[in-house]
Amino acid sequence: MIKYSVELENITKRFGQVVAVNNVSLRIKENEFFSLLGPSGCGKTTTLRIIAGLEKPDTGVVKLHGQDVTYIPTHKRNIGMVFQHLALFPHMDVYENIAFGLRMRGFSDNDISRRVKRMLEVVRLPGFERRKINQLSGGQQQRVALARALVMEPEVLLLDEPLGALDLKIRQEMMVELKRIQREVGTTFVYVTHDQNEAMVMSDRIAVMNEGVIQQVDSPDTIYMRPKNIFVASFIGEQINFIEGVYKGNQEFEAKGGMVLRVSDNPDAINKKSVIAIRPERIMIGDKAPPRGMNSVEGRVEMMVFKGSSIEYRISANISDEIIVFVPNISPTMKMYKIGEKVYLTWDPEAGIVLPFESKPAEPRKIG
Amino acid sequence: MSRLEEERKPFHIKILDRIRASKLLKIIVLLAPASIFLAIFFFSPFIIALMYSFNMFKQVVYTYVFVPRISLEYYIRLLDFPGIFVTMQRSFYYAIVTVILTLLLSYPAAYYIGFKLDPKYKSTAVLLFIIPFWVNFLLRTYSMKFVLHDEGLVNTLLMTLGLIKEPIRFLGTDLAVIIVMAYDYMFLMFLPLYGVLEKLDKELLEAAATLGASPYKTFLKVTLPLSSPGIIAGSLLVFIPAVGEFIIPMLVGGVNTTTLGTLIYSFFITVRGEAGWGIGSAAGLIYIIFIMVLSYLYIKLVGAEVQFG
Ligand SMILES: Nc1ncnc2c1ncn2[C@@H]1O[C@H](COP(=O)(O)OP(=O)(O)OP(=O)(O)O)[C@@H](O)[C@H]1O
Ligand SMILES: [Mg+2]
Repeated sequence: MIKYSVELENITKRFGQVVAVNNVSLRIKENEFFSLLGPSGCGKTTTLRIIAGLEKPDTGVVKLHGQDVTYIPTHKRNIGMVFQHLALFPHMDVYENIAFGLRMRGFSDNDISRRVKRMLEVVRLPGFERRKINQLSGGQQQRVALARALVMEPEVLLLDEPLGALDLKIRQEMMVELKRIQREVGTTFVYVTHDQNEAMVMSDRIAVMNEGVIQQVDSPDTIYMRPKNIFVASFIGEQINFIEGVYKGNQEFEAKGGMVLRVSDNPDAINKKSVIAIRPERIMIGDKAPPRGMNSVEGRVEMMVFKGSSIEYRISANISDEIIVFVPNISPTMKMYKIGEKVYLTWDPEAGIVLPFESKPAEPRKIG
Repeated sequence: MSRLEEERKPFHIKILDRIRASKLLKIIVLLAPASIFLAIFFFSPFIIALMYSFNMFKQVVYTYVFVPRISLEYYIRLLDFPGIFVTMQRSFYYAIVTVILTLLLSYPAAYYIGFKLDPKYKSTAVLLFIIPFWVNFLLRTYSMKFVLHDEGLVNTLLMTLGLIKEPIRFLGTDLAVIIVMAYDYMFLMFLPLYGVLEKLDKELLEAAATLGASPYKTFLKVTLPLSSPGIIAGSLLVFIPAVGEFIIPMLVGGVNTTTLGTLIYSFFITVRGEAGWGIGSAAGLIYIIFIMVLSYLYIKLVGAEVQFG
């Protein structure tokens, strides 16, 4: 039987007119690294604060380890939290910050000193006990905040964009560290971020959120390769192509101009107005028409950008004004196409994912 | 910037750069106005009072002439003055009680307004809180005579409610002086407290809660230590004028509420002359030293508490 660390059942939270969290249900497994990913203002922090008990939901139930804690105050829930702005106590040194929770729980001085010392080793800050908080770098403060929460051995650790304030290099280091620590301590992590890269690198599962609603909950590769709607498809990954048309069933999709494309099956979309999503790196480019059986579209190069590891083309064709293609830079003799050149685009049927059409798809805002 | 570029700079730019780089010039320009102001209005009268207290002026008809001597006569006469130690003790006692009272009154209000109140009402609330202090100090204090009078507002109210049969005698007592001092100085405690509490990061309290601290423990371990700069500032702001207060004890107090302030006042205004000014100056200097020592000890003690508490 699967044990769940956190269960949210039909949680809704409004602030005045704004519905910050809209009927959210989630089940987070024990020892899972679970991310809540979405654009700014989509309700991630509010969801996390509801799990922590810092915010009361208007409706719904919060369970921790199977126990209903909806009306239990924060200090009685066995959770740890790392805040977006860390919220380290400025009037205490590193040692006292980490010891704070243990003191609240009435541990003996010996016990406290032993646990703090061990925790400082886990976050790789041994010998920093007597440092003042403002004498630490951003990354070190980050670790102290993590240690302060982890030393309590909480059943669930909630992290709200903890790497947001760090620059790219430390952020990448910290991602690896976080994952290592999570394995080492074996605690459930609920990680809030608007950075898909962070979510992809660390998570076992990701919940993509938009405007208070959970869009999809899946593993990083499924989220990337099998998005369930236009929002997820465009929010995740660098770029994606959409082609409008109707799904006819039997892996056949009729694009706008009447051209039939082979796609992966989606029984829900049969005979409905749909959209196919194709990742730019799944499309191949060539100057000859490919053999039959593959999707093939004739087009014209409108733009070419050399990006180092890859080359980005923008191609116009009759099924779409702009198809983006990424060609990996695999050899110095690789053929490069010039603007205005006629080319053929080819892709696997299963690279085309059929999604329900939305008249006004929610505009994903990408940050960072 | 290369040496060459440096050489090619026009002369006036070089001069300007020099001026910008000069630390001394900055110090002079920024600090001089206030320093000169203080030198004229604080330091010189202070030196003159010091000289008076050491009997360095001699009255000749209507003017005072400088005599090069140092005599402790006025200090000895001051310490021989009947009731001087009781008076000093009383000044101290009034000031301490005023500090405690204003702190107890202001902290919950500053906490509520700075912390719990919807931000859009905050400035209005602060304004309402300090409105009484827009009224001229003398008027505000004098009006207390009517409030605390035997047939004043407080007594009438208490009698109507049937809580007392006889009016309570406030005027002329320690209680009246303390109540009025607390009222007059409360805003000096409230404002710095509000300042720190308003700025205190609420996330810190939430962090404490996630670490298992109850609201009460959070207050003791986080809110209180982090608001201590406000407590220190407020306490000093109230204590310093309170310990030298002379108007309030004169207006609502009586013969038994003499303070160091009223004493100094009477030496300068009532006794006057060479001796009055001399003893008054001696008392004033003792008062300043007293305040300096106490403030220093207080900051040392409470400041240390803030660091490690
Ligand atoms: N205390 C509050 N009062 C009023 N509105 C709020 C409050 N907290 C959040 N909101 C609103 O609720 C919505 C969701 O906010 P939330 O902080 O959960 O977003 P988020 O996904 O964490 O965004 P970000 O990535 O910018 O941190 C936003 O529209 C926000 O303006
Ligand atoms: Mg947030």
